[in-house]
Amino acid sequence: MTWYEMHRCVYDFVRCQEQGRGDVFDAASYDLSEAERTAVDTGDIGALYDLGLHGVLLNRYCRQLGISLDDYKRRLQPYAVHQERRGRWQRSS
Amino acid sequence: MAALVLTACASHAPMMASARAAATPEQRDAFFGAMEHLRSRVADLGVTTIVILANEHFTNFFLESFPQLCIGLGERNHGPAEGWLGIEQTMIDGNPSLGDHIARSLLQQGFDPAFSHCLDMDHGIMTVYQELDPQHRTRLIPIVQNCAVPPLVPLARSWDLGLGLRRAIESAPGDERVALIGAGGLSHWIGHPRVGDIDEAFDRWFLDTLASGRTESILDMDDDEIELAGNGAHEIRSWVAVAAAAWPRPATVLAYEPVYPWITGMGVVDFSR
Repeated sequence: MTWYEMHRCVYDFVRCQEQGRGDVFDAASYDLSEAERTAVDTGDIGALYDLGLHGVLLNRYCRQLGISLDDYKRRLQPYAVHQERRGRWQRSS
Repeated sequence: MAALVLTACASHAPMMASARAAATPEQRDAFFGAMEHLRSRVADLGVTTIVILANEHFTNFFLESFPQLCIGLGERNHGPAEGWLGIEQTMIDGNPSLGDHIARSLLQQGFDPAFSHCLDMDHGIMTVYQELDPQHRTRLIPIVQNCAVPPLVPLARSWDLGLGLRRAIESAPGDERVALIGAGGLSHWIGHPRVGDIDEAFDRWFLDTLASGRTESILDMDDDEIELAGNGAHEIRSWVAVAAAAWPRPATVLAYEPVYPWITGMGVVDFSR
């Protein structure tokens, strides 16, 4: 039930899949919250994003699940946040 | 003494290798034409070792230990990590003596780099190295830095790192002719609701800043401001470092293409005379 544990779980899933060892991955062995476990068990990338999963890892997770960029962008849209702050390159234009 | 004969930067994206044809022919011609120019420079200048400064993507390090900087000291390093990238996976010769000198010099200058004797080089390094030397004959010193997981080094520290790398390379014994290449960026979003977006205004402004020789004027940008151009925009740290290594020479922009199928603003610059 920590930010690290969720990341370790997803990272291990991805690495096992990448190395053709998907059969040895066991999500039950990680100390996850109910929300984290549900998100991992169901491959709910929106929920994982909302729980704070790092974008680089989320990207690899989507690749392993065969989720296309267009599809994962669509699934993450409900979590988009409007940015009020403007960068200096935007202020000068 | 060794000579730093080439300083340049290029964006990296996995799809520039794995989905090359997804870009339009015009964009491919512009981007890869610029990379071909750099490849010719590597050959014409007699480069003996390429040092590529790129960023870690959870390939070598994870959250148990995550160095801000790691220098590849190995006799050989493996790459690419991704079997699907479209680049043959192989072992590539490093340069242990020069790598060791760079590490020792940086330590003496106040940096605390980690080191590895066998880095796994992912698309961040391999897509660019592949374009610079498709035959993989030039020795390669990979350096990965943290551009992804907070806390991140401030841009000013990246600038200082570049100055330190130049001192390190130019103080190395022997007659090595070294190319220092920054790889990464420009604007892009990964694992984010804005994945696929490119902030062309940021990219053009950043490249204009490098080309005008005013890179020092943007070193006060904080992480939140950089991230307005995407969580992948933190990779400009490699560009800032190489700009410092080349200072006071400004960049010549060889190409800029917002390649949406590759989800990245793709730029190429050369700081060398």
